[in-house]
Amino acid sequence: MQTVIETKGLCKVYGRQFAVDHLDLTVPEGCVYGFIGPNGAGKSTTMKMLLGLIHPSAGQVTLLGRTLTPRNRLALLRQTGSLIESPAGYGHLTGQENLEIVADLKGVPRKDIDRVLEIVHLTGDRKRKVGQYSLGMRQRLGIAQALLGSPKLLILDEPTNGLDPAGIQEMRALIAQMPKSCGATVLISSHLLSELEQIVEQVGIVNRGRLLFQGPLTELQRHSRGDVCLRVLRPRAAAEVLRESGVRAAEGARPGEWTLPPLREELLAELVRTLAARGAGVVGLTRRTKTLEEIFLSLTGEPDSGEEAAV
Amino acid sequence: MLLRCIRAENQKLHGAPIWLVFLVVPLISCLYGSYNFLQNLGLLSFTWYNLWTQHTLFYTLFFFAPMVGVYAAYLWRLEHLGHNWNLIMAAPVPPVDLFIAKFLAVAKVTLFTQGWVFVLYVVCGKLWAGLPGWPPLQVAVWLVRGVVGSFAIIALELLIAMLIRSFAVPVLFGLAGGVSGMLMASKGFGMVWPFALMQMGMNSNKSEDVLAGSGGVFWAACLIWTGLLFAAAAALLRARDVRA
Repeated sequence: MQTVIETKGLCKVYGRQFAVDHLDLTVPEGCVYGFIGPNGAGKSTTMKMLLGLIHPSAGQVTLLGRTLTPRNRLALLRQTGSLIESPAGYGHLTGQENLEIVADLKGVPRKDIDRVLEIVHLTGDRKRKVGQYSLGMRQRLGIAQALLGSPKLLILDEPTNGLDPAGIQEMRALIAQMPKSCGATVLISSHLLSELEQIVEQVGIVNRGRLLFQGPLTELQRHSRGDVCLRVLRPRAAAEVLRESGVRAAEGARPGEWTLPPLREELLAELVRTLAARGAGVVGLTRRTKTLEEIFLSLTGEPDSGEEAAV
Repeated sequence: MLLRCIRAENQKLHGAPIWLVFLVVPLISCLYGSYNFLQNLGLLSFTWYNLWTQHTLFYTLFFFAPMVGVYAAYLWRLEHLGHNWNLIMAAPVPPVDLFIAKFLAVAKVTLFTQGWVFVLYVVCGKLWAGLPGWPPLQVAVWLVRGVVGSFAIIALELLIAMLIRSFAVPVLFGLAGGVSGMLMASKGFGMVWPFALMQMGMNSNKSEDVLAGSGGVFWAACLIWTGLLFAAAAALLRARDVRA
């Protein structure tokens, strides 16, 4: 599979502070790539460097198979759509007029506006002034601006920021279909893993400018497994099984409750089978998802306690 | 690509509040100039040329450069607000074309402003002052020459408005610039100071043509200043990181 974005040793230094620290990003063609990290992790700075809006202090960017240089920047931008930091737009103009401006700047025929308005469900609001749009509508207008000209690469910086749950759901559905409907590779950032889990195939986790993890979502999900809360009817039988299994279980606040470490699925299934066979009466088993901060700790080397315990 | 940028800038001018400034500021200036003309008829002869001296005295000294400052500040404010810097700088056009397109948009509005000033001059002269006959054609030439003289001011004000996000700074800079232009021109340094070029082009406060015999130098000075300011804008847009 061809790589659409590749960075090598990409750095941005402000004073003595690394905003982006030797980042090696690899985004394969035709995927939705989730670029995840807390606020201030360097996501926007990285995305701006990919577009040539910020000059890297070191390293190189390769887009669509070509190393980004001042000479070929415009040619690469012609194949790229972007939404950086928050939706742009001119409040005194209508949605249609805003799209006409972007279409003109991109050199895209104005008739393409109808298509992108349809995709983001703003056809009925095209004559309204953007100043009267809700935040969700402005986000969708920003996506429409990015989609003009059917770019091969879409760079979307926190497009779900500030949206209500319904808006987030709608935006997610819109972005998830882009590789199929528009043939575009999508790089999308967020500070919430849970927000992107349903739509991304590849993930990059960044913190303090450094890439902590990069790979398929399924691999990350192994790291994001949290503690398991176990509830049983007969605590004495369960305590015996847990002691024998060697799992480091902590007793919960109420009798019959335990907190188990983030066990692998197979180990957990085996444990539940044994508990049932010994008459412990399992009535509840809930896996807690780790917060992004906890995943960072896990990725930076803190061991998952009890993970390798035998059942 | 420049044409695409020009189309985009023209679109941004639709419904823009600067058209109010365009209408009102020359009106105030002309009313003030006409009133001053009529109050000083003891010193001034009752001619179209002398009405012109009074109109342009106030217009070029206090009103024109701050008004261009408003135009420039408004066009860049559109980009400073709402992360539009990211939008325009990620567009596949050379950044200097964005600057030149804004320059041409302000130059267009300035040309219209000069036309409006001419209309007001004629209306004030005929209907208020009751001057006989019609204004000399030379005045129209001076107005167009004033537009050429304003190129350096437009480029300078746009450069300031691009770098400084405050709306007031280019306007105040224009106010100081207008006064400095008159001082520089009176000391004989008019050709080397952007704000003086416009006043000289307009033949401000003069009834004899101040550029008679030195038109070539005037044109060269306008082009050199504008070219230098374009080059500065291109270098800054190329070298600076985008801060939206």
